Amino acid sequence: MSRIGVFICHCGENISRTVDVERVAREVGLLPGVAFSTDYKYMCSDPGQNLLKKAIQEQKLSHVVVAACSPRMHERTFRKAVEAAGLNPFLCEMANIREHCSWVHENKEEATVKAVEIVGMMVERVKKNRVLPTITVPVTKRSLVIGGGIAGIQAALDIADAGHEVILVEREPSIGGHMAQLSETFPTLDCSQCIMTPKMVDVANHPKIRLYTYSEIELVEGYIGNFQVTIRKKARSVDEDKCTGCGVCMEKCPIRKIPNKFDCNLGMRPAIYVPFPQAVPNTPVIDRENCTKFKTGKCGLCQKVCGPGAVDYEQEDRLIVEPVGAIVVATGFDLYNITEKPKGSMIKGYGEFGHGKIPDVIDGMTFERLASASGPTGGKILRPSDGKEPKQIVFIQCIGSRAREKGISYCSKVCCMYTAKHTMLYHHKVHDGQAYVFFMDARTPGKAYDEFWRRSIEEEEAVYIRGMVSRLYQKGDKIVVMGSDIAVGVQVEIEADMVVLATAVQPQAGADALAQKLGISYDKYNFYSEAHAKLRPVECATAGIYLAGACQGPKDIPDTVSQASAAAAKVMTLFAKDKLEREPIVARVREAGCVGCFACKKVCAYGAVEEKEIRDRQGNLIKVVAYVNPGVCGGCGTCQATCPSKCVELDGYTDEQIVAMIEAL
Amino acid sequence: MTKSIDTSIYAAVSEAIRAEAQRILSDGTVTAIVGYAAARRKGSAQPIVISSADDAAKLIFTPACVNNLAVYLTKAKKEIPKKGKVGIVVKGCDLKALSGLMGESQLKREDLYLIGVPCAGVLASTVQPATELTSDSIAPKCTECDAQLPGGCDFVPPQAPLTPGQTRKYAAEIARLEALTPAERWAYWKEQFSKCIKCYACRQVCPFCFCEQCLCDRNKPQMVDTTPRPAGNTAWHIVRAMHLAGRCAGCAECERVCPMDIPLNLLNRKMAKELKELYDYEAGFEVNDKGPLNSYTEKDDQSFIK
Amino acid sequence: MHPEKQKHTFEPKIIAFVCTWCTYAGADLAGTSRMQYPPNVRVLKFPCTGRIDPVFILKAFQQGADGVLVSGCHPGDCHYIAGNFHARRRFAVFRKLLEFVGVDLNRLQFSWVSAAEGGKWVEVVTDLTEKVRAMGPMTEFRELALEEQWSGAINTPELEEAYNQI
Ligand SMILES: Cc1cc2nc3c(=O)[nH]c(=O)nc-3n(C[C@H](O)[C@H](O)[C@H](O)COP(=O)(O)OP(=O)(O)OC[C@H]3O[C@@H](n4cnc5c(N)ncnc54)[C@H](O)[C@@H]3O)c2cc1C
Ligand code: SF4
Ligand code: SF4
Ligand code: SF4
Ligand code: SF4
Repeated sequence: MSRIGVFICHCGENISRTVDVERVAREVGLLPGVAFSTDYKYMCSDPGQNLLKKAIQEQKLSHVVVAACSPRMHERTFRKAVEAAGLNPFLCEMANIREHCSWVHENKEEATVKAVEIVGMMVERVKKNRVLPTITVPVTKRSLVIGGGIAGIQAALDIADAGHEVILVEREPSIGGHMAQLSETFPTLDCSQCIMTPKMVDVANHPKIRLYTYSEIELVEGYIGNFQVTIRKKARSVDEDKCTGCGVCMEKCPIRKIPNKFDCNLGMRPAIYVPFPQAVPNTPVIDRENCTKFKTGKCGLCQKVCGPGAVDYEQEDRLIVEPVGAIVVATGFDLYNITEKPKGSMIKGYGEFGHGKIPDVIDGMTFERLASASGPTGGKILRPSDGKEPKQIVFIQCIGSRAREKGISYCSKVCCMYTAKHTMLYHHKVHDGQAYVFFMDARTPGKAYDEFWRRSIEEEEAVYIRGMVSRLYQKGDKIVVMGSDIAVGVQVEIEADMVVLATAVQPQAGADALAQKLGISYDKYNFYSEAHAKLRPVECATAGIYLAGACQGPKDIPDTVSQASAAAAKVMTLFAKDKLEREPIVARVREAGCVGCFACKKVCAYGAVEEKEIRDRQGNLIKVVAYVNPGVCGGCGTCQATCPSKCVELDGYTDEQIVAMIEAL
Repeated sequence: MTKSIDTSIYAAVSEAIRAEAQRILSDGTVTAIVGYAAARRKGSAQPIVISSADDAAKLIFTPACVNNLAVYLTKAKKEIPKKGKVGIVVKGCDLKALSGLMGESQLKREDLYLIGVPCAGVLASTVQPATELTSDSIAPKCTECDAQLPGGCDFVPPQAPLTPGQTRKYAAEIARLEALTPAERWAYWKEQFSKCIKCYACRQVCPFCFCEQCLCDRNKPQMVDTTPRPAGNTAWHIVRAMHLAGRCAGCAECERVCPMDIPLNLLNRKMAKELKELYDYEAGFEVNDKGPLNSYTEKDDQSFIK
Repeated sequence: MHPEKQKHTFEPKIIAFVCTWCTYAGADLAGTSRMQYPPNVRVLKFPCTGRIDPVFILKAFQQGADGVLVSGCHPGDCHYIAGNFHARRRFAVFRKLLEFVGVDLNRLQFSWVSAAEGGKWVEVVTDLTEKVRAMGPMTEFRELALEEQWSGAINTPELEEAYNQI
């Protein structure tokens, strides 16, 4: 038999003004199972809590109901007090007779009757409450960071500086991402390489960071605090330990005319290469598709010239398993490529702008490479077709972005700003040139952003034309751009030497496949979804996985870095404890009854439900049942409402507890 | 007006089933076949499990082959050998049940050899087995059937069923009830439900009632009234219909076996109709990953929510 | 300031199934804002509307509720990602079932009430209470519970005689 203690709070006069608290205490005192009931002026005060603790001990109470304010206010307080008195905290419930009763009713008789009923319901509920042990999950204090752009670099450095080991996995041969490709950066026009390369070097030298470049995530198992990640380290064909980065191999490689992706195909590279001189690590990789040795078996020059003997044609992909406790996803973005439509893409093409057909129609990133001092032209703005300096240049914004009919309805966020930057860079480099910008709107929120944009018009003499381009075609060595100026209401036609398209920012190819491995959700464009758009912007719904940078949505560098540091802070919070404690409000499966229909698994948004085989002693399969991973379960109870036989139960909200309340009605 | 229904193909269909059964049992494709055989009473049929090619000759298909044999693969699988593939004779409606069971991880396609039957209809439970199949004697479910030719089977006899246009019996009854006031509908169902003797034959026969413990039997806690009286019966029927919504294949076995002639499938059809209207969901031959009640879209109707 | 309290002959019992994060918090806000509403409602707190089993609604009616309210977070605001989306489908279908067996859907209200919508909570609760008050008590399930007969109507003299002899 339960010995329930009921404590009715006056809340000063907040409750007692409209609820006859003594009467409530008297009436609920008569309910079966209630061993003790009393009222007190301020239950949450120290003396109030002491009264509660004393009563638990003296009256040998088995359960407690505190009738006071909202449990959202003080449930924690009273559960702690109950725990201090030696009872399991989950044997304490609150009855809300303030927000839901005394404050919303005026008639004392009605409010008192209601209060008695509310407390009565909670008394019936608490009888069915079970002892719930706090769930603890061990935490492996190492973190995985996927993607080595500025987001991944920042997150990795922050976590490593806090003293935790970081595994940084980058798909390309070097870290750096898009920021390494940029020339100068808005809103300050400092050189991107100058601020980026030191960070890259820090990563390479950090004792706590283990860097896997030219590597991809193969498999992710486990859950928060306890992930097992399998990494595929692709064969580089160069032994990273032996290579000194002297670069002789690259000089000697006879294949020299492979378009360099890092330079947006403007420059050429050999078959054994580093993507750019400041690459980290500075270890070359053999592009096996283009290497003569791999294609025909002949050549082998690089191996011969390599002093330390680092070149290894036999090298194979390696699979490495790393246990980690948290994962930061920072896989960044790619630019919408209008020349070819990726397979299965919902984006419709933009053939009308001649990108890919007209050589001097380029995208923003290509312009960055042209403007970059370390780029293929040494920082001179030259036309890809004939190497001449363009005297008239047209920038077109919102290519692909904000075009619902084309399949992308979002704003790419950085284009307004980088186009303004481009007009400035252009003006600084081609003094007698004229830049035109076609734009729909200028979106420049951000510190010093609007000032920056205005500067491009007011000081750098860019001509901004509000309107869209309808057509663009090659005429001789000019590109005719036809558009409308909707502000003035006239058609405009510009004979340009070069056209730069601000193409949409999109998630990286394969973002969806990675999300599926990680078990995180993504939107229809493949941007990863945060757990809550406002309040949990860096966490995934899947516990222990965090987001940083443009993989979550278009972002500039300041936003990317902020989010990366925020993600790192989340990881550090997780690592601050040896064991992860969580509220034991999780679902549990009654295996005896479970028939393995997995309706629960289908509705679980957290991916907490797994399939578990039940075998007899001989190892014969008896049945497959559901298993809820308590580390992953969010505690919503959707599974229970869905399970036809109610074989999965949410602790703290069991059918018994709820039915007891309904029956108390 | 009574229209006769052409069942002349059933002889050839039976022949083809026997030949196929003979083949797959002798070449070891399957270890057993669940099908129909003639029963003692004239014209009647009953389920049979055969595991020897010699018994293939026993298999038939007639308008009296009313049972949904899917339950013999799950709840009533005692007689089925544990090893190897099992063959099963399925009408379109039965096949929908099998697909549903596969979607709910109760069966695996690779464990089954499906012999689909082109079906022009079977007899209602209210008539004698030897009765001729007509628009009056046909099972009500068959008047609304869209699955006369099962799809995705391993074998289907080549005959095509001829089906005349028929009055959709459930649709008509649903429309009639929908036109009533809530009080009138309550009175109708109260009368129906109060007939129920809680024999649970409907539950026993339903391929989808595979829970080990039914919520309506549970007493700790007692989720709903469990008495075999009007209150408990009503709860049973509401819970049953809800638990089968989005899963029920429409085989109407529940209604067929009910000794008290309660129109159980009427509730099932009503739910099916709502699911079709709300979420464009219909039970079909394909195995769905998720049913309509364990999936959602962000744009689902919420006109009923304030 | 205080309007004259009206005396009613019938005080309906309203039971509300709400989620913790939005509607319960919204009801708390109504309290902190000292809004007033009829005292007929009893609130049962769930973590999420996803946890609310249709069977609870049935149970509530069987236990004598005259009206039932189910309320949670607006779509997209679910604390547990998608619980309310699942609930929305479940209840869309369940209410159609209840309607078909003859339950007047005016007794069953669904709503989205966010943590900021104290006013909406008051409105929803008040409307439902008044609507149900006007409809009178929900007798259907209560009458069923009182009925003894278990197998069809006693519609023949023989049955009647036999029944009277028990
Ligand atoms: C033309 C242009 C100009 C810009 N100019 C500016 C500017 O002046 N100022 C400014 O603030 N912002 C600017 N931006 C925005 C800036 O580039 C981004 O904010 C920033 O690069 C985002 O960094 P990130 O790390 O999130 O992504 P990224 O830089 O894209 O890095 C992602 C990294 O993850 C790796 N990766 C991807 N998928 C995988 C995988 N599956 N496994 C392992 N690794 C993977 C990629 O190889 C890459 O190295 C500009 C953008 C463009 C397009
Ligand atoms: S829904 Fe219920 S019966 Fe089905 S697998 Fe989950 S716990 Fe088991
Ligand atoms: S309670 Fe919610 S999160 Fe936990 S297993 Fe069930 S559906 Fe998944
Ligand atoms: S078969 Fe008929 S009588 Fe038996 S439980 Fe089902 S509905 Fe009731
Ligand atoms: S509820 Fe009836 S019609 Fe539906 S699958 Fe079960 S037995 Fe067949």
